[in-house]
Amino acid sequence: MSEMWINMGPQHPMTHGLWNLRVHIDGEIILDVDPEMGYLHRGIEKISEDRHYNEVITLMDRTCYVAGLAWEHLYIMAAEDALHIEVPERALWIRTLNDEFQRIASHIMWFAAFVQDIGLMSPFLYGMRDRDLVLDLFQSFTGGRLTYEYNRAGGVRNDLPLGFTDRARKVCDWLLPRFNEYDALCLGSDIFHRRCDGLGVLSAQDCVDYGVTGPMLRSAGVRRDLRKDRPYASYDKVDFDVAMANTADVTGRYLVRMEELRQSVRIVRQCLDWLDRHPGPVMADRLPRWLGAPYAPVGREGYLLKRNYPTGVGFSSVEEPHGEAQAYVVNTGGEHPYRVKFRSPVFANLGAAKKYMIGYRVADIPPIMGSVDICVGEVDR
Amino acid sequence: MAATLLSVSTDISGFILRGIASVLPQPVSGWLSASWTITGLGVLIFCAILLGASMINTIMLIWFERKLLGRFMDRRGAMHVGYAGLLQNFADGLKLFRKNTYRPREADNLGFYAGPTAYMVTSMILFAILPVSTGWSGGVLPLSLLLALAIFSFAPLFIFISAWSSNNKYSLMGGMRSAAQMIAYEVPILLAVVAVVMISGSFDLNIIVQEQQNYWFWGPLFLALIVFVVGMIAEMERIPFDLPEAEAELVEGWNTEYGGMLFAFFMLADYVRALVGSILVVLLFLGGWTLPTYLPAGLTSFPLAGIFWFMLKTYAVFAIFVWVRASLPRVRTDQLLRVGWMRMIPLSLLAILVTALVIVVRCLPVFGCIPTIGG
Repeated sequence: MSEMWINMGPQHPMTHGLWNLRVHIDGEIILDVDPEMGYLHRGIEKISEDRHYNEVITLMDRTCYVAGLAWEHLYIMAAEDALHIEVPERALWIRTLNDEFQRIASHIMWFAAFVQDIGLMSPFLYGMRDRDLVLDLFQSFTGGRLTYEYNRAGGVRNDLPLGFTDRARKVCDWLLPRFNEYDALCLGSDIFHRRCDGLGVLSAQDCVDYGVTGPMLRSAGVRRDLRKDRPYASYDKVDFDVAMANTADVTGRYLVRMEELRQSVRIVRQCLDWLDRHPGPVMADRLPRWLGAPYAPVGREGYLLKRNYPTGVGFSSVEEPHGEAQAYVVNTGGEHPYRVKFRSPVFANLGAAKKYMIGYRVADIPPIMGSVDICVGEVDR
Repeated sequence: MAATLLSVSTDISGFILRGIASVLPQPVSGWLSASWTITGLGVLIFCAILLGASMINTIMLIWFERKLLGRFMDRRGAMHVGYAGLLQNFADGLKLFRKNTYRPREADNLGFYAGPTAYMVTSMILFAILPVSTGWSGGVLPLSLLLALAIFSFAPLFIFISAWSSNNKYSLMGGMRSAAQMIAYEVPILLAVVAVVMISGSFDLNIIVQEQQNYWFWGPLFLALIVFVVGMIAEMERIPFDLPEAEAELVEGWNTEYGGMLFAFFMLADYVRALVGSILVVLLFLGGWTLPTYLPAGLTSFPLAGIFWFMLKTYAVFAIFVWVRASLPRVRTDQLLRVGWMRMIPLSLLAILVTALVIVVRCLPVFGCIPTIGG
């Protein structure tokens, strides 16, 4: 068989979304790869300029459809920064809780898709089963299972329902032993190590050069986690370890994500304890009325005229399940943001594909791409 | 002489033809009641019974796998069509039957249609060879084991033909992988079978089973059994050796371009091969339809007891294949071939050596002595 280009995508079981990986192969060896993104471009940044600040949140859920709350958090932090809004402490803790539950849901989703890529069938369904429990929790306080629309400029839409913390603790108790089961099914299998060890190696220097972040960066031995390095919400008040590995390969990324799952459960438990002990408001009481927040209580400054409201620029960065996401919101004093810009971590992680794909085999493409944890919605936005 | 499936079929055909002949005028009734007419229709009835039984078994095997896989995955499997989803696969088959058969414009006409058909037909022929119980076979074939394995190894040829003629890169790669894999694992399978032939002294599956009346071969030939089962999983292209249709990278492997009934042919033939593989394991290593004579005689005296025990063992073996599928990831092509050539073949040679030793020793402490029926 001579050299040829094959298209893995946009309709291909490997892609987990709508994108295309063009692969130049010689027999089974990969000579070159060319990731093509843009099939799922919906112009979210442009649409955002035409919406009220709180209406953009709906788009954020669709940006990354497996980590909606993390992206809501990212945007709303930048928007609050631009609008000069102070958020009550309890809302910050709820957002931290959401982030970590979202990380659990997203990582389990990644696990399910990844093991499916290397041919493990049962853990896929185990993963989906356990992720459903987290989605049930989300449903109990946001009403949604995938698109939540829960954050608001100034806090969160509503407080947690009665008995939520106990239910959440039960879910945590259920999840921890399941992670050990996942490990037994994957790390306990010799075939898994044969498939994944030393595969898709991306050195720490290359990670930094290409702007690769998240579990891929930490698996290369670089200790960078925004939750520790630039704490937002209440991450400076919770106790956790940064998951690390130093093999820089697929197994390393697996180990990092599995450890992050356990650390997330640890953070969630601390958040639940704090939320139990500190009732209080979850919404800022001094919000401009024109913000168009129908659920927001209107305070003394609610009558502040638009032309008198201070302008500003907001920036935020969040350690999203896939990596470091950043948002930039420009407020020029209207009802809509003047400009919204996002940095997608997966876009950068995919961009380095040439570095970690060339030289491996066709059969290695699904595990390597699976270990990147692609969410096409946020790549194309 | 005990009634065999063939004699029963001949009786049925004789009954039918003589009945028809009795009401017809002379020259026609003479033709109808002639012995060659009765034998001819008898063979046709025999084939029809065999085909029906094997197809129903194959479809039930798919149901069995879906239910078992469902349980392994903490779900229920098919539930809605028929009791516990028993008719689900018939419904799926009917749906595929109704679908339009689509051929890509650039695909080769002959190969595209002939490949799946030949694959299906050669797989089905195997059922005519394999004995199911005493008398339930196509007849005495002194080399039936060899014939079965020979037909079993046709598959890579037809898979490669259909893959190549689909004019699709994924199909081509899947076909190449399939051919390489099947050829690599033919060798250890045949060597493992040599061990069985050495100890039973015959290529006739009936005699191999009779030999195992009190002396199942799985114990003394444990190495050969392992080689045979692993090789069979590779031949059936099931996880962990399902690289030819590894859906993560090759879409659907060599049958990417096939839809409708042609896809059903592939699917059905795959399960036929899975059934045949399980049957071969039972025949060669697990005593076929026999039970050891020290068990109570009531276990084997009820009608069709042989077929009952045979099917029970077959489905148990297949359950192990399903278990493997539910719990192992897929290996890579080069790893698979390396295991095939560099591990399986030495292991099967070792199995032959062990068999030779067993034959020399004749009696093992736990498993007893080799019987002397065949050779």
